[in-house]
Amino acid sequence: MAAGLLVLMWPARALRSDNFVFYLPSTRAVIPLETIDQAQYLPLLPVLNVVGKVGAIQEKRETLKVWFDEIPLELRVNDKTVRVGKARLALAQPVRRPRSQWLVPVDFLAKILPQITRDKVEYQTGTRRIFVGNVKPVTFGVRVDRTGNGTRVTVQFSDKVTVNTASSNGKWYLYLGDQPVEPLEQSYRFQDSHLSEIQFDDQDGVPKLILTPAAGGLNFYPTLAEGGKILLADIVTPPPPSPQQPAPASQPTVATTPGEAAPPPAGEAAPAVAAGPPLPVVVLDSAHGGEDPGGRARDGALEKDLVAQLAARVRLAILATQKYRVVLTRVGDINVDLDHRETITNTARAVAFFSFHAGNLGITSPRVMVYSYRPPQAEEGDDVSKALLIPWAKIYQTQRQPSRQLATAVQQKFGQIPGVTADPPAEAPIRMLRSINAPAVAVEIGSLTEDADSAPFANPAFLQQIAGAVAAGLEAFRGGTT
Amino acid sequence: MTTRAKILSVILFFVLMGSAFYLRVLTRRIFFRPPPEHTEEVARTRLSEAALQSATTPVQTATLYFPSFENGNLTEEQRSISWAASETDRIRQIVLALIEGSHQGSSRVLPPAASLRAVFLAADGTAYLDFSGQTRSDLRPGIASESLAVYAIVNSLAANIPAVKRVQILLDGQRVDTLGGHTDLTEPFAPGPARLAAGP
Repeated sequence: MAAGLLVLMWPARALRSDNFVFYLPSTRAVIPLETIDQAQYLPLLPVLNVVGKVGAIQEKRETLKVWFDEIPLELRVNDKTVRVGKARLALAQPVRRPRSQWLVPVDFLAKILPQITRDKVEYQTGTRRIFVGNVKPVTFGVRVDRTGNGTRVTVQFSDKVTVNTASSNGKWYLYLGDQPVEPLEQSYRFQDSHLSEIQFDDQDGVPKLILTPAAGGLNFYPTLAEGGKILLADIVTPPPPSPQQPAPASQPTVATTPGEAAPPPAGEAAPAVAAGPPLPVVVLDSAHGGEDPGGRARDGALEKDLVAQLAARVRLAILATQKYRVVLTRVGDINVDLDHRETITNTARAVAFFSFHAGNLGITSPRVMVYSYRPPQAEEGDDVSKALLIPWAKIYQTQRQPSRQLATAVQQKFGQIPGVTADPPAEAPIRMLRSINAPAVAVEIGSLTEDADSAPFANPAFLQQIAGAVAAGLEAFRGGTT
Repeated sequence: MTTRAKILSVILFFVLMGSAFYLRVLTRRIFFRPPPEHTEEVARTRLSEAALQSATTPVQTATLYFPSFENGNLTEEQRSISWAASETDRIRQIVLALIEGSHQGSSRVLPPAASLRAVFLAADGTAYLDFSGQTRSDLRPGIASESLAVYAIVNSLAANIPAVKRVQILLDGQRVDTLGGHTDLTEPFAPGPARLAAGP
């Protein structure tokens, strides 16, 4: 009896919880994650078999030797290091072997997988999906607008998608076809009378959006526009039952209440719950990442780490205003190419864009410069600001003045930080700012050179001051109080 | 064996030995040539070589621009150069002088390891400078440093060679997005401001 109770009450050391999705050019695989001591683990051999070919295996009591595409890997139980060829690479958590299964912590994907596979690996730390090989995932941004009798959801995808809809348990499911999808945010919550949440889910290997209505009995009418790049979905309160109002013969939408597929006429009574407007989006870009470390200080500090720390603090400072949502162009130590960063920003329909850098700004340190875009050629050519279709490479022309104003607003706040040299706003031909359809500035802190230590500008207090100044500058630019 | 045959054998032996030695030296030169050391001395040597090729022309003063990171601007520097006859050679002379570095303590434009693979000057005034990929790996990182380096090259060329209106920088023969992740190299550069920051 006592033994039985003990078995029942004994805390589980390993709990199977979620899945990890591997997206490859022609296939995808779902591998269950295991949680051990609050760390997430993946089974090693299934992972290697998904992304490549395991040649041979030598397993002893405490060690495992695997030849992966002719590269030897050697692991030891409860050891945080893994031998890859002749190098030893450290993991955040030790290797485990419960139930004779070799498990590696999830950071194996970021630290070791890129070393042993020839394919491009794109993985954002903290997510549960990885893209291996020539896979270009689709991203999307979400916008919610009030209409006369309901709410319109606009989902803008970075590429064409196909959508199949379904309804289950009072929620609407939008299956996004076979395209690999990388969400900018896992879920979006709204204070709206018709929609409370949009959640992205691909835990079963099938990317989908799950819309949770704010109330029961609402109708849902999704349609694809622009060849599959935009999804428009109207969520409306159904009209009161009336025998004179038959349902349309063909309705390309899904209604939660069968037989009430027709949207109500305009002028419907106002919803009971007052809807809040969707929060504007600010995009923060940490330069470099992954195999591109950017600059390096004498003490070994890397630009990619410094700017990621700064962006994280800026994010918190902006979120503290409760006026914006924040999207990051990179999360974790990965190299996101410039085109992808632009896509993330433009898809999110940002109201402001900040790109963070650290570089050589002379011997004065700490020092901050704020840049807006200046084209490489003084003569800008045709004025495209009134053109119907504007090439992405020229989109900066529509944003030069607001970008200058944003740079001025932020620089003024930097100038108020004691002990910091804040130069007047500058203009430079920065590639990252060229195709951003939003007021866009780059912030460079320094001086980061191999001749000096990073200490003057890498300390947390300084970064916090910079973060506060960026948030205050954004507020000043947007017309709020500082 | 006759005396004549002995003498011929000895001569043939030395000829064969000499041929073998020459073949060995030739093989080493072709297959085992050590990579050139990219030092300031090498840069100066290349500059001198370029200048010597045009020894018949008089020495003239060229205006070069070098970055000053402390001030966020370009500083002017005069340099005596014996101009080559052709404009593409003059472009090469300017770039080599920039690689050689400032004589007045300004910062570097390009690392000593930078090498110019080819130069073209198009009819529309666009000069194409094809640098080796090594140029990128030894660059000083940063927005200011990269932008000032590019403007130092473009402004120096435009100031001394009127035919140069724009400059397109290539790496290993390819158009690239940036040198080190910052400056937009997707299109040619016109001469730019000597100072990045606005105001006095």
